[in-house]
Amino acid sequence: MLFCLISKSYANENIDERVKKLTLELRCMTCQNQSIYDSDAEFSNNIKKIIRDKFEKGENETDIKKFLVQRYGEYILFRPLINYNNSFLWVFPFILLVFGLFFIVIKSRKNKA
Amino acid sequence: MKKIIILTPLIILFIISAFLIIYLLSDKNPNQPPSALLNKDVPNFESKSLYDENKIIKIENIKNKKILINFFASWCAPCKIEHPLLFEIKERYPDLYILGFNHKDKASDGINYLKKDGDPYNFVGVDSDGLIALEFGVFGLPETFLINENGKIIYKILGPITKDILKNEIEPLL
Repeated sequence: MLFCLISKSYANENIDERVKKLTLELRCMTCQNQSIYDSDAEFSNNIKKIIRDKFEKGENETDIKKFLVQRYGEYILFRPLINYNNSFLWVFPFILLVFGLFFIVIKSRKNKA
Repeated sequence: MKKIIILTPLIILFIISAFLIIYLLSDKNPNQPPSALLNKDVPNFESKSLYDENKIIKIENIKNKKILINFFASWCAPCKIEHPLLFEIKERYPDLYILGFNHKDKASDGINYLKKDGDPYNFVGVDSDGLIALEFGVFGLPETFLINENGKIIYKILGPITKDILKNEIEPLL
């Protein structure tokens, strides 16, 4: 009996942690730049409940994100998905870095000369 | 001259970035986030009538019609603003099927609201637990969707329909 209670409370804590981790990555659609975790808006509370139910049913983070993106769009994610549509967004900082390094190398060579 | 050649890639990069940022931010309104369901099939739903729980509506029952789906509630103040315009739409487009979903509301409150302000809907479904709204990605009331004869969502408006929105955005699609 005690073992059951302890394991149930551990499972709840584990789900709480997973809900927290996921909801920190999700945007509250009705708030100004606030995560669902930090928001007490009705929308956020509903999503927290949905996520908790889904974790309890055994769904994983990826499935839940997919479920939410299908309905609310990628806008609900603070971090854009890595896919073809967002490829430029992800690659652009590296392009900037390459250009920056190129510029620094040229400049330092010139200074040495 | 050499300096200009060295700086050219950076200048080009800067110009490309500026155009990209302008393109990405154009027509973006933070109060109207893009809908993930636009140009996609209308989600499946089944709902009881607000007036008679023995009457049920399913998407299959209203296929091949243009449908205006409006999520509303008696507690929603902006819904009251757009309510008279729904009558205007009904009068001007009698073939349009107007489906209302009474969202997260007490049935008695929903019925009283429609008795008092009038009922412009062909059918009023109940969405007391918000699950139908979840399928439509609704996150604020009112929200309105226009579905074409092929069952695709062709338009979505978050917030109340106004005369301007009706004239410039909805009517061209009807």
